[in-house]
Amino acid sequence: MSTASRVQLFATCLGDLICPDAVADAETLLRDSGFDVEFPGGQVCCGQPAFNAGHHGAARRVARTFAASFSRAAPVVVPSGSCATMLTRYLPELLGCEPFDVWELSAFLDRHDARVAASNAGRTLAYHDSCHLLRELGVSEQPRRLLERSGATLRPLERPDLCCGFGGTFSVRQPEVSVAMADDKLASAGDAEALVTADPGCLLQLRGRRERRGEGPRVVHLATALARGVA
Amino acid sequence: MTDLAQPERRFREVARGALGRQGTQAALAAATGRLREARLSAWADLPDAEELRERAHRIRMRAIDDLDRYLDEFEHAAVAAGATVHRAATAAEARELVVGICRDAGAQLVAKSKSMATEEIALNDGLEQAGIRAVETDLGEYILQLAGEHPVHIIAPAIEKTASQVAELLRGVDGIDVRPELEDLTATARRQLRQVFLDADVGVTGVNFGIAETGSICLVTNEGNGRLVSSLPRVHVALMGIERVVPRLEDLPVLLKLLARSGTGQRLTTYTTLITGPRRPGETDGPEQLHIVLLDNGRSGLRRGRYREMLACIRCGACLNVCPVYRRAGGGAYGPVYSGPMGAVLAPLLVGLERAPALPHASSLCGACTDSCPVKIPLHELLLDLRRDLVSEGVASRAERLGFWLWSWAWSSPRGYRASTGLARLGQRFGRLAGPGRAWSAGRELPRLAPRRFRDRR
Repeated sequence: MSTASRVQLFATCLGDLICPDAVADAETLLRDSGFDVEFPGGQVCCGQPAFNAGHHGAARRVARTFAASFSRAAPVVVPSGSCATMLTRYLPELLGCEPFDVWELSAFLDRHDARVAASNAGRTLAYHDSCHLLRELGVSEQPRRLLERSGATLRPLERPDLCCGFGGTFSVRQPEVSVAMADDKLASAGDAEALVTADPGCLLQLRGRRERRGEGPRVVHLATALARGVA
Repeated sequence: MTDLAQPERRFREVARGALGRQGTQAALAAATGRLREARLSAWADLPDAEELRERAHRIRMRAIDDLDRYLDEFEHAAVAAGATVHRAATAAEARELVVGICRDAGAQLVAKSKSMATEEIALNDGLEQAGIRAVETDLGEYILQLAGEHPVHIIAPAIEKTASQVAELLRGVDGIDVRPELEDLTATARRQLRQVFLDADVGVTGVNFGIAETGSICLVTNEGNGRLVSSLPRVHVALMGIERVVPRLEDLPVLLKLLARSGTGQRLTTYTTLITGPRRPGETDGPEQLHIVLLDNGRSGLRRGRYREMLACIRCGACLNVCPVYRRAGGGAYGPVYSGPMGAVLAPLLVGLERAPALPHASSLCGACTDSCPVKIPLHELLLDLRRDLVSEGVASRAERLGFWLWSWAWSSPRGYRASTGLARLGQRFGRLAGPGRAWSAGRELPRLAPRRFRDRR
């Protein structure tokens, strides 16, 4: 295989620890589309939790693990919009280093006309735009296009612009407001079979709230929805 | 007394209260939703919206970059037109100045039009202490004054009040029943306020923009009260934040276009008033004296640094209406004056981070505010910078700093990461007992760490 089709997979800390199945699904999607997927073993986390809380020293210490593990010679694919934002928008300045060629998963798959199986034929799904992916990276059409190619009918959310309420440490500094925001998001999915998101952070937030309430749509990572369907 | 300071826990406490009141929640969602939609449709018919935003940003930043010069120019022109210009370094100074002018005018009654700057300096309290009655004449502000409350939205101050609450408050003024219908409510307020306009000795207004070139002040209102307050009483006092200056008259249309569209979704606010000096010899109306009080109160210190763009704010309220946090927490949580994302940035800058430490964190950093801002202030990035300052200035708690330090120490190598997350898996069922895990699990299930990390499967 040529070097052009080599990609480096960044699992992200939440992906590695909480939803490794979604990361495995991301790897499957990349392989099925003909990419040679490499998993740099020294990877840990992009440093975003500390960076967004204002702790730049701590963020720098952790972000260095990323710079030390990944190469600039091949694209880095990330199944998380907010980590991709951290890596593209903030990490080079934080570490004083050259940027990496970072892609959020759906943007990458869409760009390369990835093969998507008809895993959601006949299903009605809702897609939740994670804020960083939508506003910082400008990725909103790509995940929707991929889901439609997987056979799903997309039910538009009434207020796609509203945040799910995660926001890193915000979720525990203002837990009541954060939970109310999750309720808004879950309610807006209406009768969709599942609410799909491209960010492990949103996934954690919305899933955690849905489990507590015992009602609402299932919340599924985009990689899983594409690789195996939402069932 | 009004103070922009906001103790650490207060945001959460007030927000919790707002979340518990169904009426408040419904009113917030409806009002912000309506204003947001109005803004979106008003912007949709601007062919060159993005270019206009860029222009507005440039106009505002030109004024901020050369503030001293434009303020001098403004003062010079205003004085030449017959106005008296005063400068106040602090809120207390501004309050004393305005109260002094009212006292010198022998005022017993002061009519006010809506002004966030007068809220910032707690003018009503100052006037009350001096034995002078002040009456708010903006409908929303009037309602709040009757209720003894502070504004919760910078352009729609009473959005959390329902029609029946308003009817009750208005009935309290003269004992006359009023139906909780929009027309009846406004007609009643109009009747009650009419005599105030006629009897007031001094009219107090804010200033939307001050034009350096001509020394004019521009006021926009939708109820016409600004025009009455600035023309009927013998003395007009205008309180203007020093950052409100714009270089030239030709800059004004750009800003007015964006202000009205972003605030209420109007193409132009109903009443746009340009005032240049007091009544001139031979003129039949207008005040005998016009006093313009230039308020600094922490603003000039922001001109050169990272936060200078915040001075470009034109107080349209667009960022409040799109903010998912404001929509749920309500305006009171941010403090008594400025609220929403603009308030979360501005209040700590004006009073000092240590006196408003929760505000930079009162955001999920979703960025909707930045997207909505007509003058392109990167609000969520400024919040991010304020968070950095909280840490570097030692305002963030010792426990928080220690927590992040330990975390970063463990996660600075793959080996430390493996060891710490392995330990976390063993201890995860205790996660809900204290700290962040406890806060999380009050309303959500804690995520379970997967039995095998992704890296272990390879």
